[in-house]
Amino acid sequence: MANRTSAAQRPNGSTQGKICQFKLVLLGESAVGKSSLVLRFVKGQFHEYQESTIGAAFLTQTVCLDDTTVKFEIWDTAGQERYHSLAPMYYRGAQAAIVVYDITNQDTFARAKTWVKELQRQASPNIVIALAGNKQDLANKRMVEYEEAQAHAEENGLLFMETSAKTAMNVNDIFLAIAKKLPKNEQTTGPGGSGQGRRLVEGDSGAKAAGNCCK
Amino acid sequence: MEDNHEEVLEIFCQDGVQILTAPAAYISQLNNVGTLMIVEYPNSNVTRCIEWKPIDLTIDSDVQDQEWTVVSTVRRRRTYSGSLPVDANRSKHLKINMSDIKSFRVARKNQKLTFRDGKGDDLCTFVFQHGSCEGLVAVLKGILKTFVSRRDKHVYCILDDERNPERQQLDKSFAELNLFQEQSSPYVWKLVKNFQNRPYETTMEAFSKITDIVYRGAEHRLMDPEVHNILHRSLEAIENNTTTHSHEEYEVIAHVPKLPALKEYPRGRPLSLEQWKALQDSEGQVEDVDAVKLVIFRGGIASNVRKEVWKYLLDYHRWKYTHSEQANLIKQRNEEYFIMKLQWRSMTKIQEDNFTDYRERKSLIEKDVNRTDRTLDYFAGDNNPNLQVLYDILMTYAMYNFDLGYVQGMSDLLSPILYLMNNEVEAFWCFVGFMNKVSSNFDMDQAGMKEQLQHLNTLTAFYDPEFANYLYKHDSANMFFCFRWLLVWFKRELSQQDAMRLWEVLWTDLPCQNFHLLICVAILDTEKHILMENNYGFTEILKHINDLSGNIDVSAVIGKAEGMYNQIVDAEHLTDAVRIIIGLPILGNASVIDSKEASPDISDLTLNGDTDEVSYENALTNSFL
Repeated sequence: MANRTSAAQRPNGSTQGKICQFKLVLLGESAVGKSSLVLRFVKGQFHEYQESTIGAAFLTQTVCLDDTTVKFEIWDTAGQERYHSLAPMYYRGAQAAIVVYDITNQDTFARAKTWVKELQRQASPNIVIALAGNKQDLANKRMVEYEEAQAHAEENGLLFMETSAKTAMNVNDIFLAIAKKLPKNEQTTGPGGSGQGRRLVEGDSGAKAAGNCCK
Repeated sequence: MEDNHEEVLEIFCQDGVQILTAPAAYISQLNNVGTLMIVEYPNSNVTRCIEWKPIDLTIDSDVQDQEWTVVSTVRRRRTYSGSLPVDANRSKHLKINMSDIKSFRVARKNQKLTFRDGKGDDLCTFVFQHGSCEGLVAVLKGILKTFVSRRDKHVYCILDDERNPERQQLDKSFAELNLFQEQSSPYVWKLVKNFQNRPYETTMEAFSKITDIVYRGAEHRLMDPEVHNILHRSLEAIENNTTTHSHEEYEVIAHVPKLPALKEYPRGRPLSLEQWKALQDSEGQVEDVDAVKLVIFRGGIASNVRKEVWKYLLDYHRWKYTHSEQANLIKQRNEEYFIMKLQWRSMTKIQEDNFTDYRERKSLIEKDVNRTDRTLDYFAGDNNPNLQVLYDILMTYAMYNFDLGYVQGMSDLLSPILYLMNNEVEAFWCFVGFMNKVSSNFDMDQAGMKEQLQHLNTLTAFYDPEFANYLYKHDSANMFFCFRWLLVWFKRELSQQDAMRLWEVLWTDLPCQNFHLLICVAILDTEKHILMENNYGFTEILKHINDLSGNIDVSAVIGKAEGMYNQIVDAEHLTDAVRIIIGLPILGNASVIDSKEASPDISDLTLNGDTDEVSYENALTNSFL
């Protein structure tokens, strides 16, 4: 299990390491556990009756990866189909996405597949997509086989893990796997992110970073 | 008809101009940046046109940082084979006959200009990204006879005398004057330098006349740094608006009228049981409904009479019914409820399997009931029977209004009602009453939410242009960060008791319709300093607003919103767009009125502009708007 590190707290003047910032969006059917995954990753908490997300929530979390500090800007979205028309607002410009389904519900897996298709068609071309089969703690009620989801992930070039926000299984791991896969050493090709993060100058307050990526 | 080899005279040219709205034919160009020109075709019967063409340049940091945009007011002759718009790029080149333009409106500190036709509809809107439209406006004022609208100081109406021979003469002499020749620039710079020796206040008139030439473009960028400085400071001074320096002809168009001072209104005492009894006659009829509502608006409803009064506010009971009429209505509603409930309760397994829409609604309700207000005692714990009631009511509502069905957020609206009524049928009908007020929040296409966000933007822009401008510049003019506030009427931001207090106040429809939008404006007014001081962008604003949950003083906010309402109503410059939102009769000046005028910024819907520029807006226009 990966450690969740609160990095980027080096004293001023340190020249070690680089900081990259990535926009990540969570998508998936209602009540599959999107907010719970974020809450576990960002705050280490779990609420059995996590309320539904209205509109969107925005959280940040930083992970350390070798000499790089990766800051995730996480957009957590409302899952119900009625709010689908808002989704492009969130995934535009995202460098990474986690598409979540509930392993006890086959419909949510079907919905996850259509989210993947939509992202491949509409989002930034180099977006890193991870598929998360959540609620692994309810494996005794499993309706989606691990192999089935894994095969789909392989066909589509997705990262894949079964997760449990409740037990914390694979939660940090899936974010870390994404962080590893995100390009951190190329030049950005322009606006729209097209897959690269933005380099932050250390001490920079964050959002207003230059257009260059880590180098 | 236009000749193939046509002489074209360019009267004015400015680049870095973005199209915000345009006729349908040019839809592919919306939000693109290009060059705006005033062009004259001396040999054609369509003599003058506003033209815009895109630049083939995605994002160039030079352009982004450009402080001085290329503006030319010098006439140049060009010859095209074929007139400008007729080529492969036709759909990219926008062309509007000057004679079709009947008015234009300058907004957002001279950065935005909208041309309108005779019906007051927008022909097209341009945003001047790197400069202002002052130069263009000066030229337009020179070649057209304009006057400032009395209704709206930002609107210039055009006198229709295009064919008037006298007019043609005037145009000609203007052209021959050729005020700002290349050669004149050394003189101008000298003049500007002299400004240092004289307070610029006294020379504003002279200064305003040279703003056209200030934006002369690349060849003039090597100006004396001193001159640059003075100009820059002075232009800022203009933008930051002063009302004292307006001049008949060169009016400071960024002028922001002042609102009357804010008076916060103290809250009153809640409607008491005694008051409520006293307001009913012996038959139970409520004579003076307005008086009841006024008390509720001022102070809410005391908890010992709230349950009773909510039934009236939510149209379950009728103010004018006698006890016996009320009893009949209740009986009827009771029967009706159980008929509807039976409809879904009697659904067989096979029916359900063959009824996808029903299954989907049912599944959504199950998911949300399970996670609605579970931290409240009333819904806490496993196998809580109140959850079953919540579920039954939502299922029955889905049968009552199958087209709307169930949408996330509805369980939040029902929860306090059920808690208060503690009775399935009463809660259902009160919920129906609430849903009748807010059902457009749950439109399939989000139309109701979009409209409210747009209205909120209009109100913010009217109440606090500086803050609205800040939001615009930080990709937040879409007001999306208020989505949750509006969707469930602040339910997620307030404690249950406070939400109930706010709702009953809002249900009175006092002091005006859409008062909930003024509640938003009031909260934002309290928070704006934090947002602006920290230079928050879209994501940080959303996070900050979401994090306000639990920290809003509902009484203070209602009092402040009421004060703001009075400020707005008393404002001399109250626009029709705002009047429409708060339900005041419009003044109706036919030539310049339109409901869009003060709500422009929602069309600029952008998000997270850090990484994304124009394409983002296109996507949003398609997806969200």
